[in-house]
Amino acid sequence: MSASAAPTRLSTIDFATMALTFFSLGVTLQVALIDAGTSAGRALVASSVIFSATSQFAWLAVREGGGSEWAAVLAGWVVASRYGILATSLVPRLPAGVARRAAAALNAFDPNVAIAVQQPEPQLVEREFWRTTSAMMLGWFSGIAVGTFLGNVVGDTARLGLDAVFPAALLAIIGNLLRTRDGFVAGIAGGLICLVLLPFVPAGLPIILSVFGAALAASPRRVAAR
Amino acid sequence: MMSVATIVALVIGVWGQRLIGAFALGPWLDRQPRLTRMAGLIPAAVVMAVIVQLTVARGRTLEFDARLVGVAVAGVLVWRRAPFIVVVLAAAAVTAALRAVT
Repeated sequence: MSASAAPTRLSTIDFATMALTFFSLGVTLQVALIDAGTSAGRALVASSVIFSATSQFAWLAVREGGGSEWAAVLAGWVVASRYGILATSLVPRLPAGVARRAAAALNAFDPNVAIAVQQPEPQLVEREFWRTTSAMMLGWFSGIAVGTFLGNVVGDTARLGLDAVFPAALLAIIGNLLRTRDGFVAGIAGGLICLVLLPFVPAGLPIILSVFGAALAASPRRVAAR
Repeated sequence: MMSVATIVALVIGVWGQRLIGAFALGPWLDRQPRLTRMAGLIPAAVVMAVIVQLTVARGRTLEFDARLVGVAVAGVLVWRRAPFIVVVLAAAAVTAALRAVT
């Protein structure tokens, strides 16, 4: 799920690693959704059409915390805002044509955009984008299929330590961002906002209000202090 | 249980924001460097908040248990650039092992 450490072209090993990463992510999410009471069929449909583990985990975290449905959906939207930014950087580099640009934009994720934008010309941008995307999709769809099956048979997820897997998976997703200075500040600030507010405000709100951690990290004073 | 309405709402949010970013917001955002910087940092802040919720909370009460140790180990592995599958398996193994011995 690398952004800064992304290879410029996807070798066969990179392709397999990418697929394996999304496979594990798909399994993890599916087990989490089913464990939280979503039926296997519904969970499979949800992960196929939403196709965003972070948004679904955000929704789940708020609902599991006792938050309202709208707060949970809003949290899912907020974490998906990065896709809009990624699409913004991808689209101008693609070959012209609204349909092919829209198709790519709709599949913008962290790793495929990171690799695509390093290509020197539009045709290559598009080709590497879809090559990376196909690795992700291959892993994701086989992962959610296996996870749907496992979610039904796995039993006591806490005994297996699966409740620690979900936050660990999210940590791996934003790992590269956290390794940058601003990303680290934003992450610490967002985490602290959530931790401090959690016992005092309605469930779900701490996660939504954590966007101010990003505002803090991007504040002009911090930039000037450099 | 994830309702159909929830799925539809999340699909609109996840897919719609990409289209807005690609075709509407892009040129405007180019002229707002500060906003672009902030938007790029939102996932770090918000996903970290989700991680906190999943790691040390049970509903609206703070609860520190074996999960925290498992996630801390995961944090170190992420920092050392360990592969995704290693991070995930280590978090599960450490948490499960702690629960088995306590």
